Order: sequence, then C-alpha cells, then structure tokens
Amino acid sequence: MHNEIMSEGSATVFSNEHIQTTELPSLQELGLTPISRRYRTINLSAISAIALVLLLIVTALRFQSFFELPEDLVVAYPYICSVIFGLAFLWASYHFFADTRITYAVREQDVSKQSGLIFRKLSCQPILRVQHVELNRGPLERWAGLASLQVFSAGGEMYTFEIPGLELEKAQKIRQFILDHKDVSAR
Amino acid sequence: MMDKPVAALDNAASPSIVKVETGDEWQRLSLIAIVYFTVRNIMGMAQGLVYIIPAMAVTFNILENIQSPRAYAVIAGVLLLTSLSGVVSFFMYKFRVHNQHVEVHHGVFQRRYTNLPLWRIQNVKIELPFYYRPFGYALVVLDTAGSGKEEAKIVAVPLNYAHALKKRVLFEKEIHNDNAQSADSHQTVNTSSPDAMMSGDHDKRDFAAAQQDENASEEVLNRRSIGDIVIHGITNNRVWIILGAAAPFYDDVFGFISEWLAEKGLQLNQIVGEQTIAWWQFGLYAFVVLMMIMAAIALLSVGGALFTFYGYTLSRSNDRYIRRSGLLNKLEVSMRASRIQMITAKQDWLDKLLKRVNLYFEQNSTAGQQIQELMSPNKLIVPSVTEAESVALSREVFPRCSFQRQNYKSISKRFILFWLAAAWTAPFLLAFVVGALTAHLDIMLISAAGFCLVSLVLVLRWWRWGIASDGRYIYVRRGRIGVDYLCFEPYKVQQVMIKQSVFMKRKKLATIKFVLASGAVTVPFLPEEYVHTLADSVLHEVESTRKSWM
Repeated sequence: MHNEIMSEGSATVFSNEHIQTTELPSLQELGLTPISRRYRTINLSAISAIALVLLLIVTALRFQSFFELPEDLVVAYPYICSVIFGLAFLWASYHFFADTRITYAVREQDVSKQSGLIFRKLSCQPILRVQHVELNRGPLERWAGLASLQVFSAGGEMYTFEIPGLELEKAQKIRQFILDHKDVSAR
Repeated sequence: MMDKPVAALDNAASPSIVKVETGDEWQRLSLIAIVYFTVRNIMGMAQGLVYIIPAMAVTFNILENIQSPRAYAVIAGVLLLTSLSGVVSFFMYKFRVHNQHVEVHHGVFQRRYTNLPLWRIQNVKIELPFYYRPFGYALVVLDTAGSGKEEAKIVAVPLNYAHALKKRVLFEKEIHNDNAQSADSHQTVNTSSPDAMMSGDHDKRDFAAAQQDENASEEVLNRRSIGDIVIHGITNNRVWIILGAAAPFYDDVFGFISEWLAEKGLQLNQIVGEQTIAWWQFGLYAFVVLMMIMAAIALLSVGGALFTFYGYTLSRSNDRYIRRSGLLNKLEVSMRASRIQMITAKQDWLDKLLKRVNLYFEQNSTAGQQIQELMSPNKLIVPSVTEAESVALSREVFPRCSFQRQNYKSISKRFILFWLAAAWTAPFLLAFVVGALTAHLDIMLISAAGFCLVSLVLVLRWWRWGIASDGRYIYVRRGRIGVDYLCFEPYKVQQVMIKQSVFMKRKKLATIKFVLASGAVTVPFLPEEYVHTLADSVLHEVESTRKSWM
C-alpha cells in the first residue's frame, strides 16, 4: 500500500511519453573533473619499471656463464626482447591516452566516474546504496601523494565503484562526504 | 551429559509450543549427527582425492598394487579414520540458543565460534537428509545478509525444534524491524523495549500468539504435480543431479552395458570392422544408438527433476515465500518478499512448445559463493509452471507487472554488425584465407559455415532483445531460440552504467547496465537519448524514494 503510493507518484516520471524530463537531474550535465595527472606518471613509470626488470632478467639469463642455454633460446633472445618491449609500449600508450580521460563527479546523491579510451563508460553510484568506503594506497601512490577511492555496494565485488588517482586530500574529502551522508551514517 | 539435552529437546517437542531457548548450558547434538559428520567428511575427502589420484598414479603403479593386501589395508584405514573423524567432529561441536543469540562452537583442528543474534538472521533453511528423515531430525542452516562465511549450521535437531527455531527467528526479525521503524518515526520506545523482549513471559506469550498466527496464515500458492515435474525434467537438463551422484560408478556401468550388449550378440567393433554391411545400415545403427542415448538422458533428467522437485510447494506466510521440495532430501528455502530483487521467467524452445515457464525469484547473490542454482537460497525457482500461472505468480510478488507487452524498445541492428566486426570476422577470415592459400577446401567450407552460424546466432540474439518500463517496473526481454523475461523495480538498483564506444556515439547509440544485488542486467545498443532518460529516471527513483533494497 505504502509501495503503491510511492510508485504512483513516480509513474509520471517514468512513462515513455515526452514529459518534463528536463526537470530531472541529468547525467549528461555532470560537471566532470579529471583525476590527478600524476596518476598517468605513476602508471607509465610502473610499466617502464616492469618492462625493464623483465628485460634485465632475460638479458642476464642470456649472457650469464653459469650454464649453457639451448641454442634455440639464444636465437630467440632478440625476439623475446622485442615482444616485451612491444607489449610494454602498447600498454603504456593506452595509459598515456586513457588516464587523462578518467573523470569523476560528485553530486548531492551520487558519485560518478567516466573512463575508457574507445569504449567510454560512465558509472553512477547512488550514495544511498553504499555499503562501505575504502581508500587504497599502493607504494607508488603513497609516493605520489595519491589514493584510490573504492565504494562498495551490494552489487558485488565485480561492480566495486573505484575512482583511481585522486589527490589524497580530495579522496579523503569525498570519503568523508559519503560517510557523512545521512543515508550511510544512519546505519 | 551428552544425551540429556537432546532428551530435553525431545520432551519439549511434544507440547504444541517448543521451547527455543536452550539456556546457559552448551548443547550437544543428537547422536544421528555422527552420520552427518561422517558423510560430510567422506565427501570432503573424496573431493580431495580427485586431485591426488593423478599424482599417485604417476608415482606408484596403481594397477599393480591395487590387488595387494596392503592397498586394502590402506583403504580400510582411510575409511576407519573418516568415520572416526565423524565421531570426533561430533564431540567438538556444541551449540546453544541463549539470550536471543545462536552460538556454535565447531571445528576439529581449526576451532570456530559463531555467534548470530536472532534478529540478524536473514535466511533459515531446513534440510532433511534422507538418513535423518526416519528419525525426525533436521539440519538448520542460518545465514545473515552478508557473506556466506557468516553462516551457522545446527547439524541435528528434532524437526519440530527446527521449525520452532525458524518461526522464532522470523518473529524476532519482525519485532526488530517494527522496533526500528517505530523508533524511526516516533522516537518513543514502546513496550517491546530490549529489556522487555529479553524477559521471558511477555515475550513467550507474544511469540506463542505469533506462532499460531503464522500456522494459520501460511497459504500455498503453487504445487507442482508429478506430471509437471516430469515435463520439467524433459524440457530442462537436470541430468547432472543423477550423473553427479553416480560419478563413482561410471566404470562399472559402462562395463556392465558392454557386457550386456555382447551377450545379446551385438559387438560394436564387429559392426564397424566388417565391410559387409552397407553404409546406410551403419547409419541406421548409429541413429538408433543416438536415439537410445537421448532417451536415456531424458529419463535421467526426469529422475533428477523428481529427485529435487518431488512434492514441490510454494507458499506464502506473511511477507515470506517458502519453497519445499525433494524426494529423499527435503529442502526448505524461505525468502522475504521485500528482498526479491528480480523476477526472471525463462522459456527455452521446448518450453515454448509446451507453453511452460521456469520462474525464478532472485534475491541478493553473495559474491564468490558457488551454489548450484536449484539448491541456492538466493534463487527461488518455480519449475515449469504454465504461462497463466507464471503471470499470476509474478503478479503475486510484483503486483500488476506484465512481461507480455508491446512497447519493448528494441536494440539496434548495429549490435549484430558490431559483434561481427569486432570479434568474429577476423578469425573466420583468417581461417578462410589460410584454407584458400593451402588449398584446403574443407577449411574454407568450415570457416564459411562457422561464420554463417555465428551471424545467425547474433541475429537471433538481436531479434528480441529489448527493454521497457512502465511506472513501476523495468522489463527486459532477451533470447535466442527461447525467451527470457526479466523484471525488476528501479528503486532497487545499486549502480547504473552507461557504455558507449566512439563509433556508437557517432550513431547516437549507447549500452545501459543496471547493477542489482542479484546481478547485473545489460541492454546494449539502445538510442542514446532513451538510455540517458532511463538512467536519469532510475537514479531519481533510487535517490528520491530512498527505499531500502532489502
């Protein structure tokens, strides 16, 4: 009964006819802010470091004198190096272009994030449905003064809402905003 | 000390109202629990063995050693140890229901202590393994909303105690909810303050009344006759229920069958080896054998369906739906109406022909928990109902919802084009070119046929995929050869996603994804405008109504 009254009211909002949809807050008018540019720097340096370590290991194996390598592996050495280099380059160039396109917005009732290079994804997490919030900081992020904000809902782990590469202060602010939100703090 | 509490429970069971609280003393389970623990440990060990066997086969020559007395001694030793471990598990298990909490101590090497407040328990499942049934015992599974880890099993209690406990839990929850609500609205604490609730008499009277009330108000919504279940077995593959249970005997069965065939003078290698029979004769044999296998599988499937769904009833008691079914192991699953996130009506081609529908009520799926869908407390299945019944049942849960509607917004044909271009053209083209270059006609033909088949599947997938919304619900229709209908209330959405590739943006298309507690629902390649309007209104619905999703 309670149910019915509620939905009755929203029926006008929902039907397919042209109605005053302009009165609804729209996702298209989100004022999206880009995340920190340092996020890209971190990613690029992490990728270069990984590629470098792999190359070093391969090279060390190739030129060490402790044991004999099979002939095939010696021949394959330049190819292995170029594959590592190529993959790292692709990976890095993705981050080079994609990381600057990660944007987020906080509204009174929800948090949104847009990301992706070719496939743009806009996800919107109503704060009412938030179960808990986490700030994640890896060693590189700590070094750069950044943090990732993770917001968990009952949608499950696969759909954890995450904004990476936020300046620590901003991340803490958003976290506090979500925690102070009356729908979350009420519990 | 061991038998006394059980006896007390037994005695308590005879009057109409069973005492749920066990008091301060820790309780032991009934002796029958040893059987349960033994069976469970043997199953656990068997699962472990599956991984060990290949390793053992490599190190020892099993075939040579299997006949030796030493091997028998080892097997006997293992069996003895497992059954002993059942007894040990039994002695390491104790529980009590005290001060509105269920407390359980269990585990042999890793001791665990679980403490569940009654009002926090979300689901109560009563299971009756077949070896419990003659003695009237039951297994009670209690879990909270959160993870599957926070689950308590009370392994063997008298059946009426199990039912009493269940009712008590539901009652407690109701009081708790009422309290929460009244505290919210009036800021006053009424008579059922926590103290009053703890104190025995007042509580007991309320509870007794509620218990009688409950018995009276339980209403059966749907029963499945044996005929219905047989239909379900035929239209749905429930073979695994039987196959899973019979896995250890495969070798024997195959041996037996080939022996039996040989006895009848039919030897497979003879037929294949001899050149005397014509190819059509051989084809006919193959066809007959195939038909026989199909029939056998269908029969097994019917058996599986009967095994799980025999005596199926779906009933409603206040705001709960309760499913009971099972031939040997009676299973009871109950679900609060408000926790149902989505209704799914599934119909594959055979179902469509017979005009039957499988209806699922889905509540939140605890992540990472892999339970077979039929047993899962998160999905309540109503097997093979008629179309009219499916409408009635879904309206029972979601009043006035209607799946069969004309205004489904279809997805764009670009969906087909996209998947062909993005995923399927390249590999098939590659195979085709390789075939052409190496002059293998068969490779070329197979890749061309594969491409056509994939296109056909994509067309069928595109055909019915669509979304619709009336004021109250959002409906999704999808399907290749069968049709699935999904229906959910927009205010229960957890998260909304809009996806759009660069190319889709050019064509003004977008994909929308709703994340619900029961899983995600995606509808791709819809008009951009429509997607934005829908997303905005769903978010508005969530954020403005502020209703709970549970």
